[in-house]
Amino acid sequence: RTHLDPSDTLELRSAADARQQWIHYESLTRDLSLSLTEQLRLILAPTLATKMRGDFRTGKRLNIKRIIPYIASQYKRDKIWMRRSVPSKRSYQIMLAVDDSKSMGESGSGSLAFETLVMVSKSLSMLEVGQICVVGFGENVKVAHDFETPFGSDAGPKIFQNFGFEQSRTDVTKLVRESIELFRTARTKTSSSPADLWQMQLIISDGVCDSSEHEPIRRLLREALEERIMMVFVIVDDVRNKKKGESVMDLKEAKFVKDESTGVSKVKVERYLDTFPFQYYLIVSDVKELPGVLATLLRQWFAEVVESSN
Amino acid sequence: MDVTMNDVNSGQGRVQVRFVTSSPDIELPEGKRQLLVPTDAGRYKLSQLLNSDYMLDTQAPIPFDFLTNGTFLRTTLDEYLVSQGLSSETAVELQYVRSLIPPLFEASF
Ligand SMILES: [Mg+2]
Repeated sequence: RTHLDPSDTLELRSAADARQQWIHYESLTRDLSLSLTEQLRLILAPTLATKMRGDFRTGKRLNIKRIIPYIASQYKRDKIWMRRSVPSKRSYQIMLAVDDSKSMGESGSGSLAFETLVMVSKSLSMLEVGQICVVGFGENVKVAHDFETPFGSDAGPKIFQNFGFEQSRTDVTKLVRESIELFRTARTKTSSSPADLWQMQLIISDGVCDSSEHEPIRRLLREALEERIMMVFVIVDDVRNKKKGESVMDLKEAKFVKDESTGVSKVKVERYLDTFPFQYYLIVSDVKELPGVLATLLRQWFAEVVESSN
Repeated sequence: MDVTMNDVNSGQGRVQVRFVTSSPDIELPEGKRQLLVPTDAGRYKLSQLLNSDYMLDTQAPIPFDFLTNGTFLRTTLDEYLVSQGLSSETAVELQYVRSLIPPLFEASF
């Protein structure tokens, strides 16, 4: 006779399963994680070559503008040297949002999403650049790991327990809206200065949501951009398990458009991705490609941010 | 006029449909069989869609009937999904056949 409640044992079992699953994906993606870590280190770390600034009594380079006043003051105003100023340390709040809807399981993209999640979250935790949050989304948004909890060795398996690919909708509008809220709250709780805090979200999904959502999503993305929250959409497209025409790259969408003058409705077929609202998106059919393409995209984004802030 | 204002699909759900047939003469090329379709579509709209220039590009419209799991589709896709306890996350395979009964809508052509 056991003293354990049956529901407890069920819970324990699923925890054990989740742990095993996490270890499996971890070993699958170990080398890729390391490669991503190295690439991200170069991008996310603050640039060391910051500007030389004055005015010091000793330093590395003379400040030419101070020379004449220095001589005129009979060598009293001797703060004529410049030093390399200490770079401020950037800190990050990075949210990984994983699609938990049914289509992920049905399209076979679920395991590719898990590989991506494990690889990226491992890399980020190795980098120690800031806080990591993981959410699942579908019909609802569920926080599987919050910003405040350190990403320890038990974090991964706990996160996995939240995913089953059973949600019967893929509400990306809701995800973006609620993510912005989560980022706002996280920003108020951080100790780093607002200028040094960077907020970023990676959405890992098969990319298919109602295209009628595309316009509301676009509006929310502008809101996020104004608050300097970067949102990257990683479309996992497991083409190895798909038939021709099933890849999101080829996916077409039928619309019935009514001609106002005649009242006749006509068929229009468009490429699904043509109205896709995310400016920063990438399509991954093999997790091996991810470190490279993700690094390229982030580098491009940082270049754009730096350019626009100058 | 703004195109989006004419778009009668806004607010409508979509479902991935795979169109298959056992008649080789009306078979779609492989790349065109998969399509996102508004869930308010029933037999009439689906037939209209298959006849369109993007799909079969028929000279004269062929009226079609659709089967899901061997049963004729008599409702909208949305109603079908609900009746089967399915969601729009699941792809639907639709088998299309030439309609044997002349449909009512033919009169309107
Ligand atoms: Mg989905």
